[in-house]
Amino acid sequence: MNRLSTRQATLVYSVTGIILIIFMIPIYLILASSLKPSADMFSRPPTVFFTPTLQHYVDLFTLRPFHWNIINSLIVTLGSTVFSVTIGALGAFALSRIRHPRINDAAFWILSMRMFPPIAVVVPYYIIFKSVGLLDTPLALIIVYSTANIPLTVWLMKGFFDEVPEALEEAAQVDGYGIVEIFYRITLPLAAPGLAVCAVFCFIFSWNEFLFALMLTGSSAQTATVAVMSFWSSDAVQWGRIMAGSFIILIPGVIFVLTCQKWLVKGLTLGSVK
Amino acid sequence: MASVSLTNVVKAFGAFKVVHGVDLDIADGEFVVLLGPSGCGKTTTLRMVAGLEDVNGGEIRIAGEVINDRAPKDRKIAMVFQNYALYPHMTVRQNMEFALKPQRLSKAEVDAKIAGVAAMLGLDVLLHRKPAQLSGGQRQRVAMGRAMVRTPEVFLFDEPLSNLDAKLRTQVRMEIAKLHKQLGTTVIYVTHDQVEAMTLADKIVIMKDGHIEQIGSPEEVFARPKNLFVATFIGSPSMNLFRMTAERGDTGTVLSSPAFSLLLPVELGAKLKPGQAVTLGVRPSDVRLAQAGDADAIEARVEVVEYLGVEALVDLRIGTQEFIAQIPASERPALDQAVKVVFNPAGLHLFDSESGQAL
Amino acid sequence: MGYVNRRNRTIAGVFLLPTAAVLFLTTIYPMLYALYLSFRNYDLAKPFIPRIFVGLANFQEVLTSGPFLHSMLITFKLMGVTLFFQFVIGVGLALLVTQRLPGMAAIRTLLLIPMMISPVIVGLVWLFIYFPELGYFNYFIGLIGINPIPWITSTQWALTAIAIADIWQWTPFVMMGTAAALQSLSPEPYEAARIDGNSNIDVFLHVTLPQLKPVLISLLFLRAIDAFKIYDIIFVLTKGGPGDATETIALYIYRQSFTFWRMGVGAAASFVSLIIISVLITLFFKSMQKSAAAR
Ligand SMILES: Nc1ncnc2c1ncn2[C@@H]1O[C@H](COP(=O)(O)OP(=O)(O)OP(=O)(O)O)[C@@H](O)[C@H]1O
Ligand SMILES: [Mg+2]
Repeated sequence: MNRLSTRQATLVYSVTGIILIIFMIPIYLILASSLKPSADMFSRPPTVFFTPTLQHYVDLFTLRPFHWNIINSLIVTLGSTVFSVTIGALGAFALSRIRHPRINDAAFWILSMRMFPPIAVVVPYYIIFKSVGLLDTPLALIIVYSTANIPLTVWLMKGFFDEVPEALEEAAQVDGYGIVEIFYRITLPLAAPGLAVCAVFCFIFSWNEFLFALMLTGSSAQTATVAVMSFWSSDAVQWGRIMAGSFIILIPGVIFVLTCQKWLVKGLTLGSVK
Repeated sequence: MASVSLTNVVKAFGAFKVVHGVDLDIADGEFVVLLGPSGCGKTTTLRMVAGLEDVNGGEIRIAGEVINDRAPKDRKIAMVFQNYALYPHMTVRQNMEFALKPQRLSKAEVDAKIAGVAAMLGLDVLLHRKPAQLSGGQRQRVAMGRAMVRTPEVFLFDEPLSNLDAKLRTQVRMEIAKLHKQLGTTVIYVTHDQVEAMTLADKIVIMKDGHIEQIGSPEEVFARPKNLFVATFIGSPSMNLFRMTAERGDTGTVLSSPAFSLLLPVELGAKLKPGQAVTLGVRPSDVRLAQAGDADAIEARVEVVEYLGVEALVDLRIGTQEFIAQIPASERPALDQAVKVVFNPAGLHLFDSESGQAL
Repeated sequence: MGYVNRRNRTIAGVFLLPTAAVLFLTTIYPMLYALYLSFRNYDLAKPFIPRIFVGLANFQEVLTSGPFLHSMLITFKLMGVTLFFQFVIGVGLALLVTQRLPGMAAIRTLLLIPMMISPVIVGLVWLFIYFPELGYFNYFIGLIGINPIPWITSTQWALTAIAIADIWQWTPFVMMGTAAALQSLSPEPYEAARIDGNSNIDVFLHVTLPQLKPVLISLLFLRAIDAFKIYDIIFVLTKGGPGDATETIALYIYRQSFTFWRMGVGAAASFVSLIIISVLITLFFKSMQKSAAAR
């Protein structure tokens, strides 16, 4: 790519800058509104300089049991992440090492499970969980999120395992190690960055999820996303509170973007962009 | 230490047969080199001995016991891989410890073994480094060390020097020879470098397309190749080949071709029937410039002269027949000149033109 | 049986089995259950009607009645509009942010944030922006003399409002994928074109675009698959309304199942949508294999 002249550079900066501002407005609004006194919320013209207040955040945890929602979210998120990464890494290792002409089809097939519309299985889940008494429990969501997280982990980890030379495993095999030991002493440590990537993706997905959480939980297992949505109907539109909850929910995603951009491409495009 | 024997060993990947009934006996302590062109099945054969590939037919024995279905760890072998296969997340010492761990030795024994091997290979100062912090030559040495600490009955090497530069390769090659003398362990060594094979082997196994073409000492395969493939594969530059017909002359059997004819020594001539189509093989080093008084000199044209320092390679031509002479550099002729050459009578090899087998 | 063979079986047994078992129980089984439901008269609003086998009646209703076909139309309309803008803006942005200028890397990182935000939060903040009477959008366009637009309360504008929110969230995805692909292109063709004196537009059309094609196609299918499933943003902004103006397939299934409690019909619609999305997924895999083979 050629170097730009000063004029071209100015043009690139202004166009990109304008687009950046437009894209950042909603995020700014979330943060600003979460700190704005309710009285100022819709003042016209909008107040740019206001005395920030943490009142909405305080309300969130005093007038509402938002900490319980966060705890629910964390239980579900961590539970599903640990479960999915464990199971998924095992499956990925198998797919990476078994020599079979149709093994790639199997990998695609597993990945495709992630792509089906969640709404299509929400009905059967609802009925199944209802009949076994799992409705409104974190376990239900852990199970459901794993259906998206395991395929993703299998797919991404297969790529990481494929990069660990098989000769290392053969060397360990000659030395006298069994397959299970080789897996966790040689292959897994060498693919550890991959595990971290998968864990983060599973975390973000589960943390952000809304549809299943809404359908399959009631009051006791309600997650943060569902709780924030509920402020909309139950609290007579407490925008400050909604925005404060929203801001808390978006923190993990933002941290992820700011720290691990490199992995984002690989994970979100499912490896179709190198 | 142990003997190894392969009896009619067969390997196929799916429908694709890559090793066709290999028979091979390796005595205790012998250094055997599997040599052959790329894709001929050397690695596959070695991996079957290691237990990294299943055997589809025949038997492999180590120390007399059939080990076809045993796990690699129960075969008392150690292997040095082409790319060394050092565990990148472990230090040199940890690599060796990891290799020893399944043997359940005491800490003192492990330390003693590592110290012994490290001293032998000069790895002492490298023990705390990770593979990424080592040079290619050092990595190779660590890979050997990791195999050696296990004191196996059989060492398996798969092209262990192919990733080293030429100079280092010579040096490590000599070290391997020395180590083998010292340890006396049976070795199976795969390479496609004939210099490695000639210098290291007690016995060379020459393979092609999954078949063994010849088994013999370096001298045997060089001096008495069993067929045209071995004759041309071993030796550099390659053996010159001439298609000839045997005829009975006044003084004995004569080989003739449109280019020239040649009176054979009596014992060679006795092997041929008149009219038989044979291929005559003469190594470039057995071609020399004729001196005054040489009978049977052959006249040829000098096409190219390659000066190599001590020696020179001279490309010669008689009609359509081309061949090479390897002569002292000081004797090298000028280009485009006609020269007379003679073949060393002891260096004549005869092959049946049809079957390619030595006569 | 040889050792290696035994070992492969161990790998399959120890490592693949858990994944296969879990996926079967959590994905295949519910899907089969959905299939089962789709042939039954499973109506939670009428608990006393026996849940009998009704053959293809549910499918017949779904495929011949207006609402489902309408929801299909809405889904593809939304897909077409959002993909168009996401790719035009996303590819354009990618070209800008891959310029070697100071600060561009930081700008690119910031632009990635919307993607990682929970769709329900995206819905809520856009609801805030569109909010009737009070919303910022109408306030700002009012400043330049445009009359307030009934973003989410009119059948005319609701789909646009949803499209804008979705474009905001997912344009960064196209930008990210395209930028990554752009940066992996080899510089030589550009240098050659520069020496030959080709114009920038020529270079883009004849050098850059053909090389980006496989990646763009993969991204397109990924976006299409996602767009087909779009749910949360609509749920927050309009719940499929006003009327049925923004009722996509996902919202149709939701309404049939959880508003009218007609689980059988919902399941039949689910199955039809599974079949449609399977086609998209297959196309995506094909494109991926093709670009992997070309690499
Ligand atoms: N896993 C496999 N599946 C299918 N074919 C294989 C496999 N491994 C080896 N082959 C084939 O078997 C034949 C022998 O391979 P092998 O690796 O033994 O050759 P080699 O003699 O070691 O060659 P090189 O000198 O190139 O290492 C080759 O044609 C190769 O393509
Ligand atoms: Mg090989």
